[in-house]
Amino acid sequence: MTEPVAAWREVAVRYHFARMNAVGPISLTVGKGERVLLLGPSGCGKSTLLQSLTGVIPQTIPATISGQITIFGEPVAARQPADWAVAVGQLFQDADQTLCGFRVEDEIAYGMENRCVPAADIAAAVRDAMARVELPPSWRSRRIATLSGGEKQLVALAAVMAQPAPLIVADEPTANLAPAVAARLAAFLLEPRSEGGALIVDHRSGRILQLIDRIVVLDPEGQILAEGNPDDVFHAHGDRMEALGIWTPLASRLVRKLARAGIGLPHCLTIHELCRALDSHGHRAKAARVLECTFQPRALSLATPVVRLCRVDCAPLFGPVVLRDVSLQMNRGEVLGILGANGAGKTTLSQCLAGLVRPARGMRDGPLGAIAFQNPEAHFTQATVLAEVQKAGTAAGKDLAHLADWGLEEQADQHPFTLSYGQKRRLALAILTATDRWPVLVLDEPTSGLDQRGADTIARHIARLAQAGRAIAVVTHDMDFAFTVCDRVVVLAEGGAVSSGPARTVLRDEATITRAGLALPTVSPLLDWLEHKGC
Amino acid sequence: MLGVLHPLPKLIVCLVWIVTAITLFDLRFQLFTIGLAATLLIVLERRSVIFVIGLMVPFTLFGAGFLTTSLLFRQDTDFALKLSAEQIFARPEVSAGLVLFFRAIACGMVSALFALTTDPGQLVRALMIHARLPATVGFALLQALNLVPDLAREAQQIRLARAMMQGRRPRRIPGPVEGASLIVPLLAFAIRRAGRAALAMEARGLKAGAPRSHLNQPQAGWADLLFASCAAGLLAGGICFARIF
Repeated sequence: MTEPVAAWREVAVRYHFARMNAVGPISLTVGKGERVLLLGPSGCGKSTLLQSLTGVIPQTIPATISGQITIFGEPVAARQPADWAVAVGQLFQDADQTLCGFRVEDEIAYGMENRCVPAADIAAAVRDAMARVELPPSWRSRRIATLSGGEKQLVALAAVMAQPAPLIVADEPTANLAPAVAARLAAFLLEPRSEGGALIVDHRSGRILQLIDRIVVLDPEGQILAEGNPDDVFHAHGDRMEALGIWTPLASRLVRKLARAGIGLPHCLTIHELCRALDSHGHRAKAARVLECTFQPRALSLATPVVRLCRVDCAPLFGPVVLRDVSLQMNRGEVLGILGANGAGKTTLSQCLAGLVRPARGMRDGPLGAIAFQNPEAHFTQATVLAEVQKAGTAAGKDLAHLADWGLEEQADQHPFTLSYGQKRRLALAILTATDRWPVLVLDEPTSGLDQRGADTIARHIARLAQAGRAIAVVTHDMDFAFTVCDRVVVLAEGGAVSSGPARTVLRDEATITRAGLALPTVSPLLDWLEHKGC
Repeated sequence: MLGVLHPLPKLIVCLVWIVTAITLFDLRFQLFTIGLAATLLIVLERRSVIFVIGLMVPFTLFGAGFLTTSLLFRQDTDFALKLSAEQIFARPEVSAGLVLFFRAIACGMVSALFALTTDPGQLVRALMIHARLPATVGFALLQALNLVPDLAREAQQIRLARAMMQGRRPRRIPGPVEGASLIVPLLAFAIRRAGRAALAMEARGLKAGAPRSHLNQPQAGWADLLFASCAAGLLAGGICFARIF
């Protein structure tokens, strides 16, 4: 057992006026040089646990805390939270919660300035961090307020990397980043630290799994469900985790699915391992049939256009043109994926598609649509969840049933702002689907910050809404989600649409996907296997 | 061009000029101040004439209040105008209301010149380094400055969401009723945002009273000395002109 750099011993946290513990009692350690992934369903207390590490809870956020927390053997309560910045680099889920400066370079320098590092050393560290994160030097004097959500996340990461703290604690560090950037930055965060460690919370961690030494899984009550190396945990507890809505690797899920179909395979963590296992398995054809059924594309009826964009230039309200000469259409009953790197203009295009912003040039033809914004709070105007759906126009007597449809019946009397992030997202969608008034729905990053169950719920509703004849556009970075829900995709890059077509084709076009700063869906190698060797 | 100057000498020059404009109750000095500020903005800062004229509009509206009050309610404002006219350097032959009107524009233009040529981040940083402004207060100020564009973005999104619910596109400029209805949600957003910012600063080591270093320390140089000398010369010239002629 390595010496712990961070340890929670029988720690329980209860917020004031709460009836139950937010997390714990729980005992958890991060050993020297260890990289730990913390998994668990939404609301199980992962973020609370991270914030208790440096004493932000209870010293800044009031709560009652029991048990003992130590960092490098020293009780956390012995210092102020700010004093722990020397030892712990923290990256919060919301980039705005990590950013303090005015311009990009101020932001990256901030932690070092607080440690009174000489200005010349800070300048060198800022240059180095920007280069590692591949932020262009011209961004040095860019104001934080002008950055997109993903760009802010990049700057926040650069800031944490510049601050040479031995222990890194990150809450969903790559949630808003395009896959290629996300994978690169996760690798930076998880690079070996012989004298420190890393504790990462991530809902969908497929691309970082090989860098993880140990996984700790929390159950919905904030207790440890499983702990150990990734292979053992997913092998031994995968079923239970899946039932609780906790993310497990796709390969692991498929192995379990095949096992249920009577095809026993050794446990796999990656799709490549699964392909190798399938290659050496006797019932290859049977396995291929099961897998083909799983990835069968949705059957679509004849395309009936609902919205057409004809050679439009798109610009946000009061902003400059960010996309030029885009032509596309949304069809009835079809799910269109809008993909692109951070700052590619996805949100601007979605506003144009919904008709809320006029194109700067070109023509939009079709009815007004609705957007589920990235920030769901923008939709809320009422004092209770129930009042929100009633105001949206649900038929009398059907409001509670509609809330139940979105898994929000227990929150009916709650204020919308007191809901968890996933619940807020679902409420925003419940509002927009309360009536049939919008034939066009655009969902902007619908899975950001959601656990596996949340993402699955959204996917199910998208399929249902499309089945009911709505034209749906999904703006996302999550290539696996896009692969699951989209019938057709458009890829944005270099100020325009570089590719569009059936999701199965475009998402596997490596040249286009790489050009757009994205990554192939996790399932790609398996689809190749099915095409070339499966039958 | 004035943007490269150290914010503090510039701040001092502007404050001195505003104090002089308030004290020197003379129409020609106010006109000289307005002309000088407008010239600097147009020639050195390459701002368009239309922009500079547009900049004067709010100050003109503010100053018009003094002018109309002095003209329409002479009897009621007699005492206040007399007091103004009896200030040092006052010239009794010019309407006090007119001087007050141009003084409002002059002070506004000097403030605008400072605001348009100064990076707020650099100003706060300079105040922290040279004027002993506590870092906790300085970064709170910076966060407040950051909040303005965030509020604008949030307001935009709320307006889009509301327009969507009403089945129309949002108007480019919100009407008074729509504007008023945004106050509460924006206030709530600002409070939440401030809470997050406070957590961020603490998590990254900001502590009251602790020594800090600064990456971008504004440096005073010859340009600042030249600027202060020119400003002092012009100010003295303006005062003499007002007194002698």
